[in-house]
Amino acid sequence: MDRKLIGKRVVRNEDPRLLTGHAQFVDDVHLPGMLHAAFLRSEYAHARLLKVDVSKARQHPGVVAVFTAEDMGKDWFPGPPLVSPPPTVKDVVFHSRRQVPLAKDKIRHAGEAIAVVIAESRYIAEDAVEEIEVEYEPLPVVLDLEQALQPDSPLVHDDLESNLAARLSQKKGDYEAARRQADVIVKRRIVIERGAAAAMENRGIVAHWDAQSEHLTIWDTTQAPIPIRNGTAARLGLSEHQVRVIAPFIGGGFGPKIMMFYPEEMVIPWAAKQLNRPVKWIEDRRENFYATTQERGQIHDVEMALSRDGRVLGLKDDFLHDTGAYDPYGLTIPLNTQSHNMGGYDIRNYSSEFKVVFTNRIIATPVRGAGRPHGIFVIERMMDAAARELGMDPIELRKRNLIPPDAFPYEHQIIDQAFAPLILDSGNYKAVVDKALEIIGYEKFIKEEQPRLRREGKYVGIGVVPFIETTGVGPYEGARVTVEASGKVNVTTGIGTQGQGHFTSFAQIVAEQLGVKVSDVRIVTGDTSEFHWGTGTFASRGAVVAGSAVHAAAKSVRQKVLKLASKVLEAPEEELELEDGAVRVADIPQKSISLGELAVLANPLRGAVEPGTEPGLESTSYYGPQYGATAFGTHAMILEVDPQTMMIKIRRYVVAEDCGTVLNPLILEGQIHGGVSMGLGNAYYEKLHVDENGQLLNASFADYLLVSSTEMPRIEVAHLETPSPLNELGAKGVGEAGAIPVPALFAQALENAFYDRKLEVLEMPLSPNRLFELLREAQENEKSV
Amino acid sequence: MKIEGEYVFDAPREEVWKVVRDPEVLTTCVPSVQSVSKVNENEFTGEIVLRIGPLSGAFGGRVTVGNEVPPESCTLTVEGTGKIGFLKGVGNVVLVEQDGGKTLMKYSGEAQIGGKVASVGQRLFDSVSKGMIKQGLDKLNDILVKRMAA
Repeated sequence: MDRKLIGKRVVRNEDPRLLTGHAQFVDDVHLPGMLHAAFLRSEYAHARLLKVDVSKARQHPGVVAVFTAEDMGKDWFPGPPLVSPPPTVKDVVFHSRRQVPLAKDKIRHAGEAIAVVIAESRYIAEDAVEEIEVEYEPLPVVLDLEQALQPDSPLVHDDLESNLAARLSQKKGDYEAARRQADVIVKRRIVIERGAAAAMENRGIVAHWDAQSEHLTIWDTTQAPIPIRNGTAARLGLSEHQVRVIAPFIGGGFGPKIMMFYPEEMVIPWAAKQLNRPVKWIEDRRENFYATTQERGQIHDVEMALSRDGRVLGLKDDFLHDTGAYDPYGLTIPLNTQSHNMGGYDIRNYSSEFKVVFTNRIIATPVRGAGRPHGIFVIERMMDAAARELGMDPIELRKRNLIPPDAFPYEHQIIDQAFAPLILDSGNYKAVVDKALEIIGYEKFIKEEQPRLRREGKYVGIGVVPFIETTGVGPYEGARVTVEASGKVNVTTGIGTQGQGHFTSFAQIVAEQLGVKVSDVRIVTGDTSEFHWGTGTFASRGAVVAGSAVHAAAKSVRQKVLKLASKVLEAPEEELELEDGAVRVADIPQKSISLGELAVLANPLRGAVEPGTEPGLESTSYYGPQYGATAFGTHAMILEVDPQTMMIKIRRYVVAEDCGTVLNPLILEGQIHGGVSMGLGNAYYEKLHVDENGQLLNASFADYLLVSSTEMPRIEVAHLETPSPLNELGAKGVGEAGAIPVPALFAQALENAFYDRKLEVLEMPLSPNRLFELLREAQENEKSV
Repeated sequence: MKIEGEYVFDAPREEVWKVVRDPEVLTTCVPSVQSVSKVNENEFTGEIVLRIGPLSGAFGGRVTVGNEVPPESCTLTVEGTGKIGFLKGVGNVVLVEQDGGKTLMKYSGEAQIGGKVASVGQRLFDSVSKGMIKQGLDKLNDILVKRMAA
């Protein structure tokens, strides 16, 4: 299809507002009479709560109210389960234990909220928090995933027999049979630790109860305004039409902003209604480390069965997943890991069991990648270990096992995170790998450059890692497209936006259909009063699912435009074209009518609308895929390591990406750049250090290292397009893609840089210190052999 | 977190033991101690103001002396809570006679910290605690030397 706007590097509609400081964020909301909240949070990771005395805090001048769990009375109950366990899998175990608004009786992670002070200013609220007296009885903490499952472990939830939150196994083919046929079995233990999502904007909520209109308005840094609206209405006994949730501009979501419900999301609206005053709470950075969800803690025991000629006959991966103190997000993360364990490879026999473990840490919910980086890390590390074992080039081994282009749709015979069958819809995987190899100059680097650099005393390695990303999952999203009398177009959808460029890419989709300027399409996201139905922005699904709904609604409006214009211009619809904000007869361009004039005619003030028609040039459409679209990509990097300091320099970074139809390369590249920076953080910088008592030791950006602009490499991006057959746009998601392969890529490049020192990387994240230790261990192993 | 170290006093063991077991003297030595009061022979309560990097705050605490073998050794249990967190520790103090009327103090213990002190201050806690111990022991030694000279 010949496209005028889709696929073009259109600059972003939203940027002028963002760059000039005119975009509204939650903390920009100021209401008359607004109060400010601060939370008292537990200093202990695991303790009985013996006494909470708030009497002094209540007397503090300027304090309006102090609430504890007791004070919430019958309104105190846990948050809803976000995702239920998959019903279709045999013998699944799932114990649902959800977070509570304020802790009662027991503390299960350091930072769990115990009480809230609401005062005339945040300063006063913080001061009064310090006057609350809490008596704890500290309990032994549960941190280590393996020890947590031992029979003598202390329990995070006393009413359960153990700390096992869930167990699920999935099988494809017959791994044991594959193992018997194999020439080589490679076994490894792989450990991945937690990091923070560290969005630039912390969380925040403003709640305003208008007693006269009995209407509650909430500004919330949420990725899922509609579910928050629905859940808040249910919690407070209100109609969904009495609650409006606005998710304005948000400084990064990355997953944790879709944890329904955070304690603060349960407490602040409730308190605003109790007090009949607007209440604001803005999370500070230290709270963000203690009270915002995190991800990535897993331990894998993996086995790969191969034939001598490098065919992967089977894969077995049993793993533990750290869910933290509660498990409101169900099995999304470990299911994603299970679905990405086979990467883009044609592996016929697979067996995987995971156990989800309660620990005394903050709840784990998806963070950009959401279990996928783990799956890719596992399969790609195993590929490299197997290549060494077989004495084969690691790229050649991968190529021998990639799913061939004629095998799509490729059914994996297991279920994915949405409980839908894991089917890889389309792709041309080898072409993408070849593209990355070509751009980075793999052969030349290995044969010429690396030996030359080594002679100069430089340790420089190359890595090439292919990966899949399941994206664009259901259930559905919707959109309403309206041509207004001004000739401009208004579009509303139920999802929220945290920087993905929806105001531009959705506008391009609409402009493509209606022949208007992209800047004449106004997009509204994240306001429940504008669109009633939807789920949210997660799982790299905005462009695919909401984008497809926008596309369907725009097409439907186009039909209405053509029908009406055909009548007005007295010309058949086939002869009409939509250009420059008008409809004209293709051969007689002077015979035309503007969209604005048509919109007025479609909504007459007198006369009658014809039976069977609707007023206005407006349409609402929904899109829900049967299963998700799966993107594919390959990252390649050339990494230099200083063998003295272990500091690194990325000399080249190449991304070859096939996420189906590219809507806007500029936005796509921005998404990839952001993803790569998070991936690099997960590989070499970001790690949450927790001591043996569950105390987080680096809860500030002085101690928790984020990748900054000076560490970021220049990224060369190439696009290949295999449109998804699952939606008309042919789109596949890309929001998380940048982050997914990076730890695996980094590990491979490190090993390659130290090719003669038998370095093997089986853990993430690393750091210069840890790399130094690993090299020393490798050296000692070498000596002892 | 482990706290471990040695210190040589320029005074005989009996004298060192006396000051170690005298809260009035100790109070003047530990930096930033605001007050100490004796609950009984083996238990003292007090308040100390800690300054660790960007954090500062008062800790109310209790020190208990146990396993006392005068003048050789004892165990100190410290528990403190304050607005910037909590700390708990158990330490062993051993005094060994040295030639020339000197005394070697060996101390070793485990400290547990929580709250802001841990999450923001941990990187500095180690050096702050070492610094405070060194300062305190130096001052104690000065007192001992003066007493000996008197």
